[in-house]
Amino acid sequence: MSTPAWILEIFAAVMLLVAEVSAGQLVIARAWTRRGSAGADIAVSDLLMGIGMAGILVPGLSTLPNAVWEVVFAVMTAWFVWCLWRESRGRGAAAVARGHYAPHLVHSAAMLYMFAALAGPSVEGSGMSMSGTGGMSGMAGGSSGGMPTPHASTLALIFALLLIAFTVHDLDRPAGVDGYFHVVGRRPVPAGSALAAAAAGPVALRQPTQADAPETAPRADPAAYTAERLLLSPALVKGCQVAIGVIMAFILIIMI
Amino acid sequence: MLQLLLAATWLMDGMLQYQSFMYTKAFGQMIGGTAAGNPGIIARSISWNAAVVEHHLVLLNTVFATIQLLLGLGIAYRRTVRLALAASIAWSLAVWWFGEGLGGVLSGRASPVSGGPGAVILYALLAVLLWPAGRPGATAPSVAFRAVGAPVARLVWLVLWGSLAYFALTPANRAPQALHDIIVSMTGGEPGWVTGLEKHAAAVLAHQGLTASIVLAVALIAIAVGMFLPPPLARNALILALVVAAFIWVFGEAFGQILAGGATDPNSAPLLALLALAYWPLATAGPRARRPQADSPPAMTVGRPEETFG
Repeated sequence: MSTPAWILEIFAAVMLLVAEVSAGQLVIARAWTRRGSAGADIAVSDLLMGIGMAGILVPGLSTLPNAVWEVVFAVMTAWFVWCLWRESRGRGAAAVARGHYAPHLVHSAAMLYMFAALAGPSVEGSGMSMSGTGGMSGMAGGSSGGMPTPHASTLALIFALLLIAFTVHDLDRPAGVDGYFHVVGRRPVPAGSALAAAAAGPVALRQPTQADAPETAPRADPAAYTAERLLLSPALVKGCQVAIGVIMAFILIIMI
Repeated sequence: MLQLLLAATWLMDGMLQYQSFMYTKAFGQMIGGTAAGNPGIIARSISWNAAVVEHHLVLLNTVFATIQLLLGLGIAYRRTVRLALAASIAWSLAVWWFGEGLGGVLSGRASPVSGGPGAVILYALLAVLLWPAGRPGATAPSVAFRAVGAPVARLVWLVLWGSLAYFALTPANRAPQALHDIIVSMTGGEPGWVTGLEKHAAAVLAHQGLTASIVLAVALIAIAVGMFLPPPLARNALILALVVAAFIWVFGEAFGQILAGGATDPNSAPLLALLALAYWPLATAGPRARRPQADSPPAMTVGRPEETFG
């Protein structure tokens, strides 16, 4: 007997939901435009993590080979290292730990570790099976015994502890503060609208400028307006961050 | 901050409870094993619980894991902190009885080195001591003193650490090979570097059970009475408590055996350390403290503000 498959499937469904929300945020923020690109890296990262973790949890949801995911998250990790360095250079180690990008760096590095550990050599007797359906996808991809080495299991615990620390910190923080929970949540919105209140959180939005006029015009489509309001809600963004942290830590703990 | 550490520990517990090992019959047997040595009525209730868990293993273990996960999330989230802390007290007491056999207190098997008197009872104690302060801004020597008042907080501290000293000196724990055997028993399934640490410590303590128990008991008594001494000495007692907790966690508990893959929690030592931090003297309102320093956080926050955040 091992961790029941239906528990893994529930967590995988939550991760797919997170991926869907992140995709929706990218679309609404128009991430391909210059104005919407702020914070798009975080949303892209969440999107990829959602898909990647769903694939780890449920074999049938695996989309890419582990090696490809390793490359993807190696690039994401390098990107967030650079962002964090740029953000906190000359401000000491404490600034690095409190940095806007620190949790995203840990998330990306943990994903890289997970795919690397799952693809790594098996160690006899070093652990138990991870899933009732023949192992998590990374393992199901051929190596049901693809347990991390003992040394790597220590690293898994360290990552899990960091993720838990960031998760409780996320929960304790006001949603939307400091742009931490997606900069897309700070996109200009109709002044005085409910969306403005929802997206702002405790942080004041900048006033719409002339250049924002096309975006800040009242929407004619109430359904789209509601969807936008929901997807950019700081509470939802915060929920996604917490879900990513909890489920990623869960996977790492199960891997030990 | 301390509430968040408690929340993180509960979150960790919830995740550990989802591990594969907990979905095997070994989990029910582990619970049933704690009945041994307890008085009849308590032993029967533990055995009944173990039987129920074994019969409905998947459902009940998932419920247990989810409850602990929710307790962690609830304590971290400001809107639900009081509810979650209250629920954690009830849950901890139930688990201490039905899941840990009262930590071996009544069976004479409790050892401060291996987690006695039960890690889970410390969660309940911490929930009480870290209860959100009702009056924001009110001054108190420490977080624990603010929650229950100085006399009760000191009494709790004395009883806890005093009982640990007593357990260190029970016949089972002062036997020549007692500590050695406890430490050796922690090596199963651990990574090489942890096994190496444990084996080295076990070799040092071989046939030194009585001496080690006396040294440990003296340290624990010093910690227990330290809270009644003047502030500088009380602070030293707290530092000693942190050091003892660290030694217990590394050598006696092998980091809660988390790396071995079958732990339900990080064991008692991290909670003892968290308890010591709850008694740590808060920054007083001296001339330096009055000057706001934007770059530096307060030495210790009493509790989180009660604002409601989305």
